[in-house]
Amino acid sequence: MSHPRWLSWTWAVPALFLVAFLAIPLASLGREIINPGTASYLLDPLPWRVAGLAAGQALVSTALALAIGLPMANVLTRYRFRGRRWALALATVPFVLPTVVVALAFRALLGGSLGSGFAIVVLAHAYLNLAVVVRIVGARWITIDPRMELTARALGAGPWTAFRTVTLSALRPAIASAAAIVFVFSFTSLGVVLLIGDSSTRTLESLVLRQTSILLDFQAAAVSAAIQALVVGSVLVWAARQRALQRGGSARPMRLIRPRGRARWAVGAVAVAAALIVLAPVLALVWASLRSGSGWTLAWWSGLFGSNTIDAGSTRIGSPLSAMARSLTFALATGVVAAVVGGLAAVSVLTGRIGRAFAIATALPLGISAATLGLGTLLAYGRPPLDLRATGLLVPIAHALIAVPLVVAVATPTLRATDPRLVTVAANLGARPTRAWWTGYGPAMRTVMVAAGGLACAVSLGEFGAASFLARADGPTVPLVIARLLGRPGEASFGVAAALAVVLVIMTTTLVAAVDRGGRRT
Amino acid sequence: MKRTPITVLAAISASALVLTACGTNDSSTAESQPSEETAQEDATPSADETVTVQLLTHDSFALSEDVIAEFEDTSGIDIELVSGGDAGSMVAGAILAAGAPTADVMFGVDNTLITRALDEGVFEPYTSPEAESLRPDLADQTFDGLVTPIDFGDVCINIDDTWFEAEGIAPPSTLDDLADPTYSGLLVVQDPGTSSPGLAFLLSTVARYGDEWPDYWQRLKDNDVAVAGSWSDAYYGDFTFGGGGDRPIVVSYATSPPAEIVYAEGEPPETVSTSSMDDGCYRQIEYAGILAGSDDVEAAQRVVDWLLSVPVQEDIPLNMFVFPARADIPLPEVFTEFAGQVEDPEQLPADYVAENVEGLLTEWGSVMGR
Repeated sequence: MSHPRWLSWTWAVPALFLVAFLAIPLASLGREIINPGTASYLLDPLPWRVAGLAAGQALVSTALALAIGLPMANVLTRYRFRGRRWALALATVPFVLPTVVVALAFRALLGGSLGSGFAIVVLAHAYLNLAVVVRIVGARWITIDPRMELTARALGAGPWTAFRTVTLSALRPAIASAAAIVFVFSFTSLGVVLLIGDSSTRTLESLVLRQTSILLDFQAAAVSAAIQALVVGSVLVWAARQRALQRGGSARPMRLIRPRGRARWAVGAVAVAAALIVLAPVLALVWASLRSGSGWTLAWWSGLFGSNTIDAGSTRIGSPLSAMARSLTFALATGVVAAVVGGLAAVSVLTGRIGRAFAIATALPLGISAATLGLGTLLAYGRPPLDLRATGLLVPIAHALIAVPLVVAVATPTLRATDPRLVTVAANLGARPTRAWWTGYGPAMRTVMVAAGGLACAVSLGEFGAASFLARADGPTVPLVIARLLGRPGEASFGVAAALAVVLVIMTTTLVAAVDRGGRRT
Repeated sequence: MKRTPITVLAAISASALVLTACGTNDSSTAESQPSEETAQEDATPSADETVTVQLLTHDSFALSEDVIAEFEDTSGIDIELVSGGDAGSMVAGAILAAGAPTADVMFGVDNTLITRALDEGVFEPYTSPEAESLRPDLADQTFDGLVTPIDFGDVCINIDDTWFEAEGIAPPSTLDDLADPTYSGLLVVQDPGTSSPGLAFLLSTVARYGDEWPDYWQRLKDNDVAVAGSWSDAYYGDFTFGGGGDRPIVVSYATSPPAEIVYAEGEPPETVSTSSMDDGCYRQIEYAGILAGSDDVEAAQRVVDWLLSVPVQEDIPLNMFVFPARADIPLPEVFTEFAGQVEDPEQLPADYVAENVEGLLTEWGSVMGR
């Protein structure tokens, strides 16, 4: 197979990006902190114990997210039914809800029955990560020809055997990708753990925060962060191995299946259950945004949009409308940067021999804590000679860094499944290398890049940790405004925060649905 | 003070943005309109002469936009607010960048974090002429002239009075009461390892009970105290007043009751059904200081003067819900009527806190089984 020559250089762009915005910040931070004595902190049992706790919690969270997410991925990406596109966009919502909001919604919904602790943290993690499973596994599932399974059945396999040997085995790499990412997100979780966790749900990320911002013990924090990166790195290596097992198949989306007979009921039941699971916390928010101590009210909504905006004239919250505009701009910039960088990274994984190591490198930002990344970026690009904060670029760059691993995870399984013989055929028919390559991979690239770009937008809309370091104090994003409102007393603070969270849900759903639609058209 | 063309451009476009925002949002601030228009006229011709001071603050910082605009207008100094995350992360960032700072002035480092910042040489000494107007109890709190107290707040037990009235129980009035079986299962506190008011409450029990503090916490634990991860979770999740919770006693701030009035629905109500307990409050003092290595120390000094000036100090209570550090500032009525007036707050020396906080947290964890 003859790849066009430029293809062997695609790694340069993502590599430069990673060096500039991951390696250099980490090096700036390391130079301030690490000295020969740091190694002695490795003997402290505390971070290792926390790592063990977090690993157990993350395994349970991952299992739960897969158990709920896989049936959703199946129904939402493969079957034709009314409202499917919106349902698919809605499935992204949990991913972007600020963790503060999810935590409070879960407490409101499940009441005192669960309180704080392991069960509610695991549920919240599974909920937040549904979109990861649906998007990553769905992107692959849609390319599996349902006739394969029918053929297996016709050859005498039982329904479970047919599913297991045909569909499940084709999905395995995608499931591994998704599981690895859910595990990593749960393992490095911060907001949920701080808000509704207890001692059984501590993560290294929360330990790092405590060591940096309460104890100011940077060496201990560096060791905790390193252990976290180590665990995350190992999980990613495992996922990369699984992905390498990918077998061929089609990369083109199959036509949607029209459910018939009993399948109609099954599809309907899963779709309704999915909608209920996804929407329950959202409905709790809508409810909170319309209630006050004295009954129903629109005051919180007019506090967002009306003439008497909450905190008008104070720098505390800033104008909610400008925060929305700002978040949207950041999200679009993130989507473009992440799709380009992540897409090129996925392509280079596909071709070069440096592929595997490189794939793991692109996924590493997942394991770097927001506090570490924020502090490092600040040291590298937040002071002379290079102060980039005023340019407003640091937030989208940090968000893209977080989103690139997701883009790669969405793109690689599908690209790998693309039949490379298409390129050969096109070349044999006389196409120049670039043209031939595009004929083979173009359709899959487009589908996958759009799906991944949408996910990247969603990441940016919901991200809190990095933005709190890198946004201007008088230019907060929507999640920052929500957190600031929830950080002070007053009925209006809570009500307007709930209304703003509903707005965030609407922004996300609309943006992701629009991106999805665009993806289908092209 | 970075006078590179890019930052000047950015400052101009940022101030243009602020002005546009004011212009589209003017109905509630009609009276301040003329001064903003003059600001615009003045700013344009002299834009290349203004200097920019970067003011590093934490998430809870807030002032009125027109107070900032008026200073920028009269001083020729543009203030660029730089966010450092929460107070702890901000101080961590400042320590890591000591000597080559990411801003010129830092506001909001408090007395639990300040010792480390001082030890690491984060600050450049400066005593503001305005410091003569400081409250007597704050006048000597400048750590050899390295920082200037700007405001203070008290972390106090808050009580849902309506709940106690309905139950016919007298609300608690001392720290000891909280361990009394009458109040079993009614108190929610925050984890001191993750929450700033949670840590302040732990320190207040250490200040009160000395070496006996673990016994006090054991009694609280026996009395079924709940521990939340964050202030938001405790106040909006567990507290009976803030949300749908079932605990009528919470660790919060002396100024939470007035905030409930200011951030109520529609017209401010005449009274509020929470109150702040005056016993066992821990005082947090917030300081501002010039970051060593700032390249325009003179302008930075004027910003510190400004933070302690009457207009800012008058603006502080209703924006940040803390008390001004100056002695000569009349408090807003919601403060005099509804805020806890703490005569004798608990306090620990800053260096004691810095040395012992890790040990205190570890011991607290083992007492509470967390």
